[in-house]
Amino acid sequence: MKLSPFLSVFRFSARLVRRSRRARLLAAVSLLPVVLAIALQITRAAVPGRPLEGLDVFSNVVMGFSLQFLVLLLSLFFGTSIVADEVDNKTLTYPATRPVSRATFILGKYAAAVSFLLVLVLASTILSFLILMIDRLSYGTAWAFLGRSLAALSFATVCYTALFTMAGTFLRKSILFGLVFCFGWENVVQYFPGTTQKFTIMHYLKSLLPGLQAGAGGTDNAGMLKFLLFRHEPTSVPVAVLTLVILTAAFLALACFLFSRKEYLFDE
Amino acid sequence: MNAGGRILRADKLGKWYGNVLGLSDVSIEIGPGIAGLLGPNGAGKSTFMKLITGQLRPSIGTVTIAGQAVWNNPGLFRNIGFCPEQDAFYEETTGREFLSGLLSLSGFSTAEVKERAARALEFVELAADADRLIRGYSRGMRQRLKIAQAVAHEPEILILDEPLNGLDPLSKRKVIRLIKEYRTEGRTVLVSSHVLPEIEALTKSIVLVHQGKILAQGDIHYIRDLIDAHPHVVAVKTDDVRALAAIFVGQPDVLSLRFDESEGLVVFETRNRDRLFERLMKVASGDRPAVEEITSPDDNLQSVFDYLIGK
Repeated sequence: MKLSPFLSVFRFSARLVRRSRRARLLAAVSLLPVVLAIALQITRAAVPGRPLEGLDVFSNVVMGFSLQFLVLLLSLFFGTSIVADEVDNKTLTYPATRPVSRATFILGKYAAAVSFLLVLVLASTILSFLILMIDRLSYGTAWAFLGRSLAALSFATVCYTALFTMAGTFLRKSILFGLVFCFGWENVVQYFPGTTQKFTIMHYLKSLLPGLQAGAGGTDNAGMLKFLLFRHEPTSVPVAVLTLVILTAAFLALACFLFSRKEYLFDE
Repeated sequence: MNAGGRILRADKLGKWYGNVLGLSDVSIEIGPGIAGLLGPNGAGKSTFMKLITGQLRPSIGTVTIAGQAVWNNPGLFRNIGFCPEQDAFYEETTGREFLSGLLSLSGFSTAEVKERAARALEFVELAADADRLIRGYSRGMRQRLKIAQAVAHEPEILILDEPLNGLDPLSKRKVIRLIKEYRTEGRTVLVSSHVLPEIEALTKSIVLVHQGKILAQGDIHYIRDLIDAHPHVVAVKTDDVRALAAIFVGQPDVLSLRFDESEGLVVFETRNRDRLFERLMKVASGDRPAVEEITSPDDNLQSVFDYLIGK
């Protein structure tokens, strides 16, 4: 069977991603929400008085951590490394001297990284949900909530990884840029009132979460995401999805363009 | 493939790194057979190698393979194999996985990938270690693996950047044999090195590169003649410098002579190194003065280049 160049790059890169030390370390980090969920579940049973609602904990603690920290961190370290690792380790010569276009190479590597990250993020979120909702698994709204949360996390992974892949193609200190962008720009500007918050990716991701869309049953879940959705002025879901898709496509197109034209000097 | 497909051509090729010159005005045509690119470190060999493998874009001039520009032309790499100078690998893969991954990027089917990887590993005598992680390989094994990835897709043009660097004599012999074996059926092989004997062991056709320019090009004998016309410096350590100097002073093959009694050293300059060595051997076989050590401090490429550019 002959694989397309994209699939060949994807398969080769997926193997390298799985074997990397970074992947093992970040896989451990991605289990933090699960550890947190277990700890909260134990505490909940032990502490007298009104127990915390499982969905409250999931929406405010697990989703808050996963969307505002975990996905950003994973996307940052995997996205920037797509090109930077090949340059720093001086292995770029090998793919660069194969009959595969540079655009195909970077897209294949991006797809491998995103697939791996999605498995980590979604598995961690689903596990956390099951642990926290173990006694409420028949609660229909909770499953709908989980579905929307997974969609938001998936879009976050795809879009942020594309952004950091692009940054990694032309910035020498792409990690620094990423840290400033994630924990400076994104985590601050998203709370600005009015149009300003729309200049963050996080704004559109939060617009995908349940309980906030006008006329979408928001009042039922108003308390569930009070931390995540503080000062959020939502954009409609179709516009948010379209914006995220366009941003991802633009980041990847720019990454391909820059990577195809840039010369990489290993000893610079 | 016809012979034209194996021809590598550079025309007024130049490369600048900002204000630093990497390569200047290089025009050359390399056809089937083994050609050696010889020059000291920093001469521009690697820059040339990177330009002809499309890793760098020429600042000026053109570089073509089979008549096609190399930069941003990945299709050409179906017929080019490149062994880079740097000791870099995907360390967490095994030798077989490394080769298979790269072969799959060359567009082979799963079955072909398996077969070619096995054949290439056999060729470089790594079949027994194929399933070990690369990070556990010795320097010689790593160098042979780099050659394996360059030849696994059986390219018509093979480009090797310092393939013998850092190898022990036994590994060097193995690699030289592999390269020579590959030169069959009119394939083009270009090898770079900064060590003259290494290139001599591989080919008679040599291109001398220095300070980003081609200094001389031709048969090894022509290069050797240039080198032989160059006055050689030979230093001899002895227990009696005056006695040794007295034997050689006035001899026609000795151009100049100086000595340092405190170091016990006599330094000769000669145009006929063989004759001088012959005389030195005669002296060494006698009792006095004792010849403790003979060195030829300028018997290296840099001094040859210095001579050729008239320093």
